[in-house]
Amino acid sequence: MLGVARNEDVMKPIVEVLKVINRMQADGVIETYAIGGAVGATFYLEPSATLDIDIFLSLRHAPGSLLVTLAPIYEYLTAPARGYKVENEYVVIEGWPVQFLPPSDALGEEALAQAVETRVDGVRTWVMSAEHLVALALKLGRPKDFARILQFVGSGAVKPGALDRILGRHKLLAKWREFERKFGRNKP
Amino acid sequence: MSKWMQNLLRNKRAMRRRLSALPFSTKLMMLAALRERSLAIAANPLRQRHRP
Repeated sequence: MLGVARNEDVMKPIVEVLKVINRMQADGVIETYAIGGAVGATFYLEPSATLDIDIFLSLRHAPGSLLVTLAPIYEYLTAPARGYKVENEYVVIEGWPVQFLPPSDALGEEALAQAVETRVDGVRTWVMSAEHLVALALKLGRPKDFARILQFVGSGAVKPGALDRILGRHKLLAKWREFERKFGRNKP
Repeated sequence: MSKWMQNLLRNKRAMRRRLSALPFSTKLMMLAALRERSLAIAANPLRQRHRP
């Protein structure tokens, strides 16, 4: 294969990562979680290449603290029993760089709370709704986010009424209109 | 737009619909394969030589 040594870790299925995250949840390190980003979008769309996995999650507050910290996750995953490595903002779990993202605003919190439960090879997991993935992509507003929105709109995976309500609740309607102006009539 | 191009776009859309309709676990396996290819291409010396 192009003269490049095959890294066995790379081909480990994502379901192995989900098992680790579920165990972390069962052990009480995190409360709820949902897959977002490109992997989350793959639940609704055709698969597209991505190098990492975005996991949005809610954390337990340390007693007497209002601060949210990812430290318990890092401590849990890098403990000798598990031995996963931290690389920049990722923890590499079963060969996959995983980014843990606590919600930074009401939209993120809602996306987490309303995530869709599913199963991958019998393993229970949660994925953000298509409408929340679109709203979050719109809010981020990078070129790849706009490309993903266009994919969602073209696929018919988005319920127009539900998206409208989310965009309205989180004051994103003006941004959506700007998106429509740029990319044509894309509202589903 | 030529008929050939229209046909091509129609087939492309149909393929995307077929892929979208696959089970999530199947799509995740495809995603892993795509990632492996992306990493292999990025690591190829030819590609690295042409990097700006």
